[in-house]
Amino acid sequence: MDIQSILQALEDTTVAAWIRESGSIFPNLESVHVIGIALVFGTIAVVDLRLLGIASHRRSALRLIQELLPYTWVAFSACVITGLLMFASNATTYAQNSVFWWKMGLLSLAGINMGIFHLGAYRRIDEWDTTLPPPSQARVAGFCSLALWACVIGLGRWIGFV
Amino acid sequence: MSSELIIAWIYASPVSTAIRDMFWVVPTVQSVHIIAIAVIFGAAVISDLRLAGVLATDEPMRSVIRRYFPWMRAALIVLLLSGLVMVIGEPDRVLVNTTFWLKMCLVVAVFTLAWSIRRPLLRPAARAQGDDEKPPIRALAWLSIALWCVVIFCGRWIAY
Repeated sequence: MDIQSILQALEDTTVAAWIRESGSIFPNLESVHVIGIALVFGTIAVVDLRLLGIASHRRSALRLIQELLPYTWVAFSACVITGLLMFASNATTYAQNSVFWWKMGLLSLAGINMGIFHLGAYRRIDEWDTTLPPPSQARVAGFCSLALWACVIGLGRWIGFV
Repeated sequence: MSSELIIAWIYASPVSTAIRDMFWVVPTVQSVHIIAIAVIFGAAVISDLRLAGVLATDEPMRSVIRRYFPWMRAALIVLLLSGLVMVIGEPDRVLVNTTFWLKMCLVVAVFTLAWSIRRPLLRPAARAQGDDEKPPIRALAWLSIALWCVVIFCGRWIAY
């Protein structure tokens, strides 16, 4: 089975057809997607600003990350689910949209950036948990995260314009 | 002056024409609008969850509220300014839309609600005794979160 026929099969599913034919499901999926984006970027921004040395509502970076990350993950799951449903409804068209693929690429980079941080500076967080400024690795991770996620949001908007 | 005349006047203005002619303006302004939504919603949810007694209960309510309210205020300004650009650019689409006006009423309502819950805690003389999550505050905090979600739904539905 090649990619094109997989995409077509996805688009031909009952769920995908239901989304396409109903006038209200897609806008509601988009709305939930925006709520998810707002929480993903909002919570990630609080952590990233802390990594950049801007204090949050608590001093400990570790406790802040532990406190907010569950919300980030729940919100991200909502984005993935609504995103997959929206993609499925017009799979063959979206697959040809280069902006969509740029968005997926930057999303992956954001994930890799998070992974590098969690395997690096985060492992040694006891050393810099309540001291300011944080180590340069943490600051770079925070800055890249903010930049990458802002671009993901911008590209997400551009998908509908190309 | 009828609304049609006002809309036509805005539409014919050089600013409105420029916004529509430069194809990148609307999507860029929309992206700024979404980032500001993330800031206001994130700040609102984190502080509302503290008010509801769900998050950061080891930190004083006062300090959590004070940390996030300035961000909510700044984000609101960005939202209003970016929104204004979109209204000026496409007055014929936005100003006749009932969902848009519903959203505007809800924005006023939810921000007034958010500010009035927080006001006692923002005053310099706020006493520590006010630091428990009394039932009306909890319910109002959850209502606030729900209203922000409705605002976001309205925002998306304007385009339909």
